[in-house]
Amino acid sequence: MPDLEILIQSLGLVVVIAPSVLLCWLGIPSLVGRPLPETWVHRVVQTVIWTGLLAALAVLGLMLSSGQTHVMVVGRQWVHIPHYHFAIKLVFDRLSVPLVILTFLLCGTIGAFAARYLHRETGFNRFFVLYSVFLLGMTVASLAGTIETLFAGWELVGLSSAFLVAFYHERRGPVTNGLHVWSVYRVSDAALLIASVVLHHLSGEGDFDRLIRGEASWPFGSPTLSVSQATLAGLLLVVAAAGKSALIPFSGWLPRAMEGPTPSSAVFYGALSVHLGAFLLLRVSPLLDASPVTCAVIVALGLASAAFGALANRVQTDIKSALSFASLTQVGLIFAEIGLGLRYIPLVHILGHACWRTLQFLRAPTVLHDFRQLENAVGGSLAGRRRSWDQWIPAHWRDWAYRFALERGELDQWLFTWFVNPIRDIFLACDRREQRLLRGSQSSVATPAEPWTRVLEENP
Amino acid sequence: MSAIPLPQADAPTMARPLTSRDIEQTIPRLGALLPFQGPISSFVFLNPLQGLEDLPFDQAVRQGAEIFGCAPYLSEERYFLKQQQGRITREELSAVLVRELGATANQPVGPRGTRLDFRLRMLTHRMRLGPPEEMAWWIAETDALKRLQEDVPEEVRHDFVRRSRSWILATGTTWAGWPQTDFGAPGDDWSDQRWEQAALACLWQVVLQGVGRVTLQPARPIRQRRLRDRLEQLTGRDTDLPVHELLIRLCAALTDQGLAGWPLPHREQGLWKAFLALYSEPGWLTRNWLAPIRDTLARLHKGQVSAVDSLLESLQELGVSSENLEDFLRDSLVPLRGWAGLLWQLETRGDRVATGVQPGTLLEFLAVRLLLDCQALRGVAAERLNYHGPLAGLWRLPVPEPRDTHPQQLELVGLQVFQAAQWCGWTAGDLLELTTAQWEELVREIETFNPLERCRIQHLAFETRFREKALHAVAQRATLPHARVTSPRFQAVFCIDTREESFRRHLEEVCPDVETFGAAGFFGVPIYYRGVADAHYSTLCPIVIRPQHWIVEDVIYTQEASNRRRTRTRQALGEASHRVQEGTRGLATGALLTGGLGVLASVPLIASVLFPRLTSKVQHQAARLLAPPKGTRLRLERLTEQPGPEGDAIGFSLAEMVNMSERTLRDIGLIRNFAPLVFFVGHGSFCLNNPHKSAYDCGACSGGAGGPNARALASMLNDMRVRLALAERGIEIPHSTTFLGALHNTGEDSITYYELETLSIAQQRNFEFARQQFEETCERNARERCRRFYSAPLDLTPAAALRHVEARTVDLAQTRPEFGNATNAMCYVGRRSRIRGLYLDRRCFQVSYDATTDDEEATILGRILGAVVPVCEGINLLYYFSYIDPQGWGAGTKLPHNVTSLLGVMDGAASDLRGGLPWQGVEIHEPLRLLFVIESQPEAIRKIMARNATVRQIIGNGWVQVALLSPDSPNLLLFEKGDFRPWSPRDGELPRVDSSWEWFRGRRDNLDFALLNPAREVPHA
Repeated sequence: MPDLEILIQSLGLVVVIAPSVLLCWLGIPSLVGRPLPETWVHRVVQTVIWTGLLAALAVLGLMLSSGQTHVMVVGRQWVHIPHYHFAIKLVFDRLSVPLVILTFLLCGTIGAFAARYLHRETGFNRFFVLYSVFLLGMTVASLAGTIETLFAGWELVGLSSAFLVAFYHERRGPVTNGLHVWSVYRVSDAALLIASVVLHHLSGEGDFDRLIRGEASWPFGSPTLSVSQATLAGLLLVVAAAGKSALIPFSGWLPRAMEGPTPSSAVFYGALSVHLGAFLLLRVSPLLDASPVTCAVIVALGLASAAFGALANRVQTDIKSALSFASLTQVGLIFAEIGLGLRYIPLVHILGHACWRTLQFLRAPTVLHDFRQLENAVGGSLAGRRRSWDQWIPAHWRDWAYRFALERGELDQWLFTWFVNPIRDIFLACDRREQRLLRGSQSSVATPAEPWTRVLEENP
Repeated sequence: MSAIPLPQADAPTMARPLTSRDIEQTIPRLGALLPFQGPISSFVFLNPLQGLEDLPFDQAVRQGAEIFGCAPYLSEERYFLKQQQGRITREELSAVLVRELGATANQPVGPRGTRLDFRLRMLTHRMRLGPPEEMAWWIAETDALKRLQEDVPEEVRHDFVRRSRSWILATGTTWAGWPQTDFGAPGDDWSDQRWEQAALACLWQVVLQGVGRVTLQPARPIRQRRLRDRLEQLTGRDTDLPVHELLIRLCAALTDQGLAGWPLPHREQGLWKAFLALYSEPGWLTRNWLAPIRDTLARLHKGQVSAVDSLLESLQELGVSSENLEDFLRDSLVPLRGWAGLLWQLETRGDRVATGVQPGTLLEFLAVRLLLDCQALRGVAAERLNYHGPLAGLWRLPVPEPRDTHPQQLELVGLQVFQAAQWCGWTAGDLLELTTAQWEELVREIETFNPLERCRIQHLAFETRFREKALHAVAQRATLPHARVTSPRFQAVFCIDTREESFRRHLEEVCPDVETFGAAGFFGVPIYYRGVADAHYSTLCPIVIRPQHWIVEDVIYTQEASNRRRTRTRQALGEASHRVQEGTRGLATGALLTGGLGVLASVPLIASVLFPRLTSKVQHQAARLLAPPKGTRLRLERLTEQPGPEGDAIGFSLAEMVNMSERTLRDIGLIRNFAPLVFFVGHGSFCLNNPHKSAYDCGACSGGAGGPNARALASMLNDMRVRLALAERGIEIPHSTTFLGALHNTGEDSITYYELETLSIAQQRNFEFARQQFEETCERNARERCRRFYSAPLDLTPAAALRHVEARTVDLAQTRPEFGNATNAMCYVGRRSRIRGLYLDRRCFQVSYDATTDDEEATILGRILGAVVPVCEGINLLYYFSYIDPQGWGAGTKLPHNVTSLLGVMDGAASDLRGGLPWQGVEIHEPLRLLFVIESQPEAIRKIMARNATVRQIIGNGWVQVALLSPDSPNLLLFEKGDFRPWSPRDGELPRVDSSWEWFRGRRDNLDFALLNPAREVPHA
């Protein structure tokens, strides 16, 4: 049925083009300094989201009715030489279609929410431009058929996330934390990039469907790579996924990301981008099938993160941190499920968790009201009413465990001591050496300008 | 003000050694200065600078701004914006300057013109000022030296070029500074622009030369108060960052009311002990920056060293002496003032939370803070400076030499003179004639009339404009006849809140036979109250009062069985829902719930975001099945001698009821001419997704809803025994009169009535009539409110407006469910009849008071002002300061707020607790000190000020403005410089309109005053 094929393909293109159109529509007027008025932004976002969502649903419907489980939309070959190519390729299958529908659904809801929530805020336009970058990134990453396409979407998601964390750039905290998130993302990006180079090196291409033999579609099929090849690429991908999904030891950034406006925290760190790591592993699941070591690492990381998240969550005293550690717990479990070889269960878990957490984040400012309602219903104070598993911790460990949770496992300090500082020292040493070689001992590290504080100063 | 703490070594013999007594005496003084915000769910409106109220307003504002690092006034740009909008005009600026300058106004400044003239020009033109780099860029890269400033008026420009031209032709080219290389000899072919350019080039030269002859005041170095400031200057590292990260978590854990599942261990032993217990433990993850002092902590912990002793040790190490102790401790509290203030509030007013803190917590907080400070300082000093000596010695380390700023400063001052000269039309020739002394004077003038001083004058002018208009309106209205409604259909007593101004006005428009009154919204009944379905008591009275009585709501006897059933169901559902909510955050339960049922959450998610009103209706219907039965009553009369929170001790004694009833009736002047129905209408606001919800509730009920108070008073007044006692005291309430309590929901503009089952058949008819009037009023009031919401169309019908405001209150995404008391600017204390029909634009608190029933000593007015002055001043100034500096005094924007410990909000992941009002709540406000218009005589006010210190301080120090309206003539007096002076009326009639709608339709901004034509039928829109 070539007609049907063409129909699905064109609908598939609509799914990706819609967010691109949104980005241009919001971004270009901003670039030329004439941002759209609020009501227009709202309308444009709604139109695009509905278009994308309906197209995605239509694809789903057509695929279900025709029984197809794997549709490829090939955009372009960037480089094509024998045994080696770079391609932009979109794939619609059992994994990407649910995720892209979820993306449109949650982003659409959040878009409608944010249009009212950010009403008359100075950063209104900036928020929606970043939102469209994020939407495009998520759509491309979910539908990516090759690792390089996925990388493009992955980068867009990271970029917009970091900027949204630093949304209130006039304060110090958001900027510091935005930079922190960005740095962790860079590590994970680097791992993904290396993984993609390795894949290209091993098989000459980064297409996910060539990781498996024959015509089977996700999650079926047997891997084409050898065990050692799969382990090398797999472990790199695990680092990438762990950074993006805030697993141990990168977990410190997740609560720090709660600096932006509530809706961005909700959809990005609560629901979508935090699951991107898990999605990546699902996407390359044939690799995992080939490498028991990678699977074991994933299970260990996932379970450790889940346990850590659950412990840290118990002591968080602010609602957004509590929710972010709750997210971490579930993401950790999702990783463990993937490592154990499950495929559909983690997918369902991702979908359900994303919806539930978004709802909880949106209600976060209502927590006082909700808590009061609950207390009224129960007829007494809820504080310390329900003991949990932490009461089983032996007494002489309890203080230690509490402090461990309160200090969030000192993961950030650990990262800094063992990772960031050494690397920074190496670079500084290189810099010094370079300066000596080039023109004497002047360091090229700029000294920051002094802040101007005299504007409203009184003369004595 | 605070001096830099001197190193101990410099003054060892001068200072007396510190003792724990010094510290214990200092703590309460510091506590009084800290922000007063307790739990956010009972929002408190008080003056943010309450601790400085013993100072005159201007001085206190500057001092407060310096202590807390906030802005004392709006930025100059904002005032210029107000000038453009016509909210400040030249007329007021000139009047304020004349008043402030006095005789010096006419002294000459510069080549020609007076000081008044010069300053006025400085106030009406925007001075370009910025960092040296920006100014250098401005000179080099823009037309600053080529064209006159854009805001120089045309005639000044013309005159400037003409006179410069003749000067250049006559003497300019022979002058030593003539820019020969750029311009050569002037020729006939020079265009106007060329002349302008040459004139400006000469002017710039002359100014630079002239300013060079004056010794400039050296730029003041940035004040360093704490060692942290010095170390930051030396190393660029902020030692507060790690300290705050830990302290914020610790304070939040200590005060948590149940957000965390696992409470802070050893919390019952207080902050100090809990901190030591946690952090003195050895652990195998020791990357912590505190690891080096673990032994010290263990010593303090094992040795049971008290917080105050440790504090003394730290102070000694930091080199703090008894002279600068208070300043030093204050400066150490200021960076986390929100948390420190909360601890102090919980310590002193613990009756507002379920889990309180120990006495002495603020001191313990300081002890922990300084311990951490010292370690952070030591760490950075060792790492960056390789310094291992005593910390106090850091003060003596050499600081980098400041760059030679003189040339920059010269240019900076020169630029200001250069700009001012253009506005005044001074040419190079004019300025060349100045003597050194005159230059000196000119530069001093610019230095004294600095941006801060200019802002102060702008602000005074801003206040003057509103005050003059308001007094004009009151004076105009006072010339018209006034009388109480002879036989009112019903009477209604509202809260003094500004939001009820429009409600009362519309009610009077809808039903001209109604009489309305204003009283503080707790109606003189201070109580702890617990409703049928409430778990806890809430405090319903102004924060300055601590209630002595407890009131509960009971279900009537016949419905108790049904109530018990529903309570059990609610309990079961509540438990289940709590389990689910906790469960989703847990490990295994979380996996089951989110994985198994998670997708179902998309239904409420999408429904509540896209269809908020519908979703809320559905929820409401469902909740009604479980709500307690309608038939309830208050347990008002107690059986025991002493009041208490349980059993028979709940309620008042009969005598107390009589006293409270009498007092409230006398206060509002309702002691005769009772209507058949008298409503007491409390108010509250019910809205979702809003941690600051309670800031919209009744300010006179500590951020609660005043319905129960209104209901209690109505029930008391319906009690025959109370009425008999009142009759003995001269207040005859006819048998045909019934009192009813009600609650006005200011969010969705609806009214709930209480205990309607007590109405007789005849009264039911009266009630039905009143209810219709109230309903109509709600719609009209909603429409007036909608004009301020930019997301509401301006052409809404009343019914559509009501639907719009209903949707706002239930929308999760709505950050502005209402605007609360924003735009409040005046407070009228007097008979409503004297200002009835005046359009006050929801900007006026209204307190009913009948001067004709008061005695010589003004007893009634005294007790009214004793409560109303601090309450309204608090509301007004909280709005005022939150608008002036939304980041510093206010809570900033709501969007990144993060509810913490169920007690307050932080910005984002972790920050100081944000007190004050969020920007979304104040964005339409105009920061004006409250203008009291009191219907009374100066003698009465003087007597009250003599006997009430709070009122004396607030009025005397200018925290509010006061005008008096004579009770028997339209004359007004204004309180200025400590005395009441006659206010001279201005010409001009107030605009007259037929209805409020006619005046506000199509308008979003603040409106002027207007008179509503009485007695004409209001057209239905």
